[in-house]
Amino acid sequence: MSTDRPLGAHRVAATVIYLAAVALIVVVGLLVQEHGPGNMGRGMVQGAGVGLVGGLFVLWRVTRRPASATTFERSWTQTGDERDDAVLTRALAVLGLVTFPVTAAATIAVALGSPVEMVLALLLMTQFAVGAVAFAVINRRS
Amino acid sequence: MKNDVRELRLAAGLSQRELAEALAVSRQTVNSIETGRYDPSLPLAIAIARRFQRSVEEIFHVD
Repeated sequence: MSTDRPLGAHRVAATVIYLAAVALIVVVGLLVQEHGPGNMGRGMVQGAGVGLVGGLFVLWRVTRRPASATTFERSWTQTGDERDDAVLTRALAVLGLVTFPVTAAATIAVALGSPVEMVLALLLMTQFAVGAVAFAVINRRS
Repeated sequence: MKNDVRELRLAAGLSQRELAEALAVSRQTVNSIETGRYDPSLPLAIAIARRFQRSVEEIFHVD
C-alpha cells in the first residue's frame, strides 16, 4: 500500500544492480562482438547502453520528483503503491501468456528457413511491444 | 464496487494529491479509486475509512 519505503535501501540495491548490469553488458558485448555475426556485439552494447541511461533517468525522477513519476517508473523501480504493483503484475501476466505462441511461431519460422538473427530480433521487439501495450492499456483501465 | 471517497474528500476540502500523501499512495491511485476503476486492498480501504472517520462499509458498497 505504501510508497513510503526507505529510499536508502533502494539506492544501494539500484547501484549494485547497475554495476552488475554494466559489467555483464561489457562482458557479453565483447563475447558477442568476437564470436557473433556482423556488428551484433556493438549493437547489443549500444542498445543496452541506451536502456541503462533510460533506467538512470527513471531512477532520478523517482528519487527527485516522486510526485510526478509515472506508474511505469514507480512500478519498475519497486517504489510504487499497491495499484502500481497490480498494473505491473497484470501486464507481465499478459506478456507471459503471449510469449508462448509468439515463441512457437518464431520456432516454426526458423524451422521453415527464416534467418535466425532476424527471427530473434523480431521476437524480442514483439515481446517489448506486447509488454508496453499491455502495461499502457491496463494502466489506463485500472 | 462503488465508493464515496470523492464526496468525502471534497467535503474535507482535500485535493487528490493531499489525500494521496496522507495515505502514502500516488495521486493516480486515489483518482482510480474514486472513479471505481481500481478497488483498493483491505488495508488501504481501512486507511481511507480511518482518514474520514467512517467504517469501510459506509464508504465502499456494492450497488
